[in-house]
Amino acid sequence: MRHSLDLYWRLIGVQIRSQLQYRLAFFLDVVGTSLSTILTFATLAFVFQRFGNIAGWTLGEVAFLYGMVEAAFGVMDMLFSGFDPQNFGKQVRLGRMDQLLLRPVDITLQIFGSEFIMRRLGRILQGLLVLGIAIGMVEIHWTATKLIFMPVILVSLVCFFGGLFIIGATITFWTYESIEVVNIFTYGGSEMMSYPMNIYQNWLRQFFTYIIPAIFLVYYPALFLLGKPDPFKMPIFAPFLAPFVGLGVLLVAWLFWNYGLRHYQSTGT
Amino acid sequence: MEEIIRVENLQKHFRVAKHYRGFVGAFRNLFSADYRLVKAVDGVTFQIKRGELVGYLGPNGAGKSTTIKILAGLLVPTAGNLSVYNFLPWKDRKIYVSHIGAVFGQRTTLWWDLPVIESLDLLRFVYRIPKDRFEMNIKEFRELLDLDPFLDTPVRSLSLGQRMRADLCAALLHDPILLFLDEPTIGLDVVAKENIRQFIHHINFQRGTTIILTTHDMSDVEKLCERVMIIDHGKLLFDGALKTIRTRFGGKRRLLVDFSEMYPDVNVEGAEVTERDGQRAIFEFERGSVTASELIGRLSQKYRIQDLEVREPDIEATIRRIYEEKLLEQ
Repeated sequence: MRHSLDLYWRLIGVQIRSQLQYRLAFFLDVVGTSLSTILTFATLAFVFQRFGNIAGWTLGEVAFLYGMVEAAFGVMDMLFSGFDPQNFGKQVRLGRMDQLLLRPVDITLQIFGSEFIMRRLGRILQGLLVLGIAIGMVEIHWTATKLIFMPVILVSLVCFFGGLFIIGATITFWTYESIEVVNIFTYGGSEMMSYPMNIYQNWLRQFFTYIIPAIFLVYYPALFLLGKPDPFKMPIFAPFLAPFVGLGVLLVAWLFWNYGLRHYQSTGT
Repeated sequence: MEEIIRVENLQKHFRVAKHYRGFVGAFRNLFSADYRLVKAVDGVTFQIKRGELVGYLGPNGAGKSTTIKILAGLLVPTAGNLSVYNFLPWKDRKIYVSHIGAVFGQRTTLWWDLPVIESLDLLRFVYRIPKDRFEMNIKEFRELLDLDPFLDTPVRSLSLGQRMRADLCAALLHDPILLFLDEPTIGLDVVAKENIRQFIHHINFQRGTTIILTTHDMSDVEKLCERVMIIDHGKLLFDGALKTIRTRFGGKRRLLVDFSEMYPDVNVEGAEVTERDGQRAIFEFERGSVTASELIGRLSQKYRIQDLEVREPDIEATIRRIYEEKLLEQ
């Protein structure tokens, strides 16, 4: 266990040192992410200036959702870089997977350590910045529970998106290439969760309630934190399902991943 | 010597989706559930003793790399018995792979952006190699493989030959008892090839490391392997000494003779004239039925000879003939 943890840090260290060799790319990427965040935020602000609010949500409240999702997705995209389906599929095709299997250490750990995209730091910081601004704009009656719950939500979101990445990566054992459907869930899902769920069509919301319960990850926790009423009359504990959904998705992903590994060992490429 | 690898009736079958051609075919592929069974390895049996250096040959798609992947613990076989160093490779993967080394010529196991020495140091940690052992090995390989000029260079900037040397070093740091080499000389120039061969020989000879070498370069085989296994269509066609191939399938030997005069007609018992060009004639004769010296004796009794040369069939052509003409299939 100690060896594994130590190895993880060393592998990440390699990634960080490698990326420091390409400073310009790092810098440009952070600038790019900043610009796109500012642009998205500006667009949002204009819409609110015109309409005042969206389905009962103010600019600050929507920014709160947006900031949480952005920051969490950024953290996930950095920690789970090795599982990014696009990149992972390519690694499988190139036989990189075999190289890793030849080493006497856990394969999952090696995938985690095979990539660590530092540029995501830009996205994380901007997410946190937007979140900070949002918290300044809305009035939250902070309690101890709410303070503790904030990081819990963020971690749950990271687990959720990470699980989706792992599932997407596992699928490439069969398809050899990342499939678009996965992007709908990861990138589409994060986009969708950045807005209040009550603006969506009934069927879509139900899909994200009962099939992929993303609604509990940020929308319900936000209702609780912001002290807004629940328009869908869910049970009172609904806001606190976030960690269960996050860990649940990650667990399912992990089981699927192990199944995929066994499949890979019986078919190869 | 003890047997380190025991393979018995090894089978590996793949289900491959059938492909339909053309535009309509592309759509059929999407929905089609038709599979074709490919027997990549179809009943292979062999043993390898500790310290052997075996050449594993076969045309592309013959089942070579599938066998190697099974032996290296990367693939689970469909059927058959297999034990390597008393391990069941795919089952005990993590422990097993710490006893083997592998170099796949086309890929590197090193970290692309890291200087060679740092990659090697990271591998020391991955394999938990004791510090003194590591230092000793590095010292030896630095000398044998002449690593010093590029130890601090990132792997991405190495030439192919340098990268191969670094990879060979990386595969041997943890003192594996079994080493898989897949095309270790591919794409290298003659000198680099020779250096790699000498190193492989040294490792096998000095350290007693068992080596399985797959290659398309017959000079590798001729210079390194006493024993050769040939696989095609998933079946082992030949398993034996390299010189047996020569004697059994070597085909005809050739005798080139330059006569001192123009003879309208030259012939000799036990050989056949296959080419004539002025004063030169080429004879072909069967190994075993007549020796070269007998032939020369007979010829010089009848004609005046200026110069002559005996040519052995080259092993590359012989092995190609074994695949192409299916000399070994019953």
